[in-house]
Amino acid sequence: MSQTAHAFDIKSASLDLLALLLKTADPAELQTALDARFGNTTETASEAFLLDLDGLPNAMELPLAELLPLFSRYGIRVVGLRHSSRSLAALASQHGLAFSQASTPPRGTLAETAAPEAPVVAAPVAAAPAQAPVSVPAQTLIIDRPVRAGQQIYARGGDLVVLAMISAGAEVIADGNIHIYAPLRGRALAGARGNLAARIFTQSMEAELVSIAGVYRTIEQRLPESILGKPTQIYLDSERLVMTALGE
Amino acid sequence: MAKIIVVTSGKGGVGKTTTSASFASGLALKGHKTAVIDFDVGLRNLDLIMGCERRVVYDLINVVNGEATLNQALIKDKHCDNLFVLPASQTRDKDALSKEGIEKVLDELDEMGFDYIVCDSPAGIEKGALLALYFADEAIIVTNPEVSSVRDSDRILGILSSKSRRAENGDKPVKEHLLITRYAPARVDKGEMLSVDDVKEILRVPLIGVIPESQAVLQASNAGSPAIHLNGTDVSEAYKDVVSRFVGDDKPMRFLDAPKVGLLKRLFGG
Repeated sequence: MSQTAHAFDIKSASLDLLALLLKTADPAELQTALDARFGNTTETASEAFLLDLDGLPNAMELPLAELLPLFSRYGIRVVGLRHSSRSLAALASQHGLAFSQASTPPRGTLAETAAPEAPVVAAPVAAAPAQAPVSVPAQTLIIDRPVRAGQQIYARGGDLVVLAMISAGAEVIADGNIHIYAPLRGRALAGARGNLAARIFTQSMEAELVSIAGVYRTIEQRLPESILGKPTQIYLDSERLVMTALGE
Repeated sequence: MAKIIVVTSGKGGVGKTTTSASFASGLALKGHKTAVIDFDVGLRNLDLIMGCERRVVYDLINVVNGEATLNQALIKDKHCDNLFVLPASQTRDKDALSKEGIEKVLDELDEMGFDYIVCDSPAGIEKGALLALYFADEAIIVTNPEVSSVRDSDRILGILSSKSRRAENGDKPVKEHLLITRYAPARVDKGEMLSVDDVKEILRVPLIGVIPESQAVLQASNAGSPAIHLNGTDVSEAYKDVVSRFVGDDKPMRFLDAPKVGLLKRLFGG
């Protein structure tokens, strides 16, 4: 909006990564295993990976200088290390990698849980002291103009507050709660990333569709008089969407 | 500075060109030097409504491409001395328009001392419509009292507030005016048509006028004379009110109620 020239903006971002859980530090053994899994070919497209070292008895002695080129031959581009002990942070920064401290020492339950849990800084800066990503408190997005048909507003990671009406055919989405201090005539989807406790509040309930954490309801029939056009809240009560008048 | 006004709607056939012609004529009748530009490249109509179709030599695209000067392309209106029409091209398509080209034309009109530039937008939300509204200072949203027209107007209002030059530069937003056309109070009373209050409540934009449904509009189009010149008709009066309100006069809304039909007329028909 502003014409002021900024060289850059800092915005929050999260990246889905694959984690590679190492069970041995021996390069020869790893190469055999990688060959068996990915074949002998050189991958051109490289995928970002997080190297999880919690399965290794002596992670400090990991020959990273030797392993990183080996991984990259198979298209595994390591962008960070994960370990339950902070002592590995130095090793990560030596190699220009980000470091993420595993939240719970999952020793013993390493078997197949390859799902990435911690977001990792995407561009590691070698010189900076590596740090576990700090979770920034979610921002509330405030919109003070009408959201018209065909427009969509998404409050990523936080709540959404709208001070003007949401027209029929418009869509507002938030990962947290949605507050609308005007009529809601379009669609409102709260808890878009699965927050079951998210709620929708509106000063005048006339919505086309409401959804909380993926449980949605299209409103084709006329709403009951108790909430139609009245201040209303919408929440989830064990898989069931509940719409009730506010202030009762 | 010339004030740039876009007449737009999203939906086709609601009365944008009729309104552009009458509104621009009304501004000129009040003594303002006014230009009206047809942005509907490929489907030009404004020249027909203004009755100058046989005087079109050069058009907007010719000026944008530097094939003609603005002075060569502007057609002086037959009713008003200070009204000029810049027709669209019939043979080209909308890709021939560019933001830079339009900006040059608007700047040049400004230098020529025009007070108002009225941009007659094509229907839809494609390039022609986006360019017609891009440079606007104010917008007249033409809406028929029926749900699909209102929905499309809502869409256009969203585009005005996000894709216009004022929105992109973070300036004061485009000033919006709602104009309801083809309004038939009798049908509203029967519940066949949205009322003025319904449309206002859905769109929440200040109302600049209501133009009643009238046979006079069709007659005016066929005669090639903007409806505002049909003195004595309610359409002409309604458009004159719109122009007065636009320049800041306070005029009460008229033609909102169905005319009272007398008992005899009801018994024996009109």
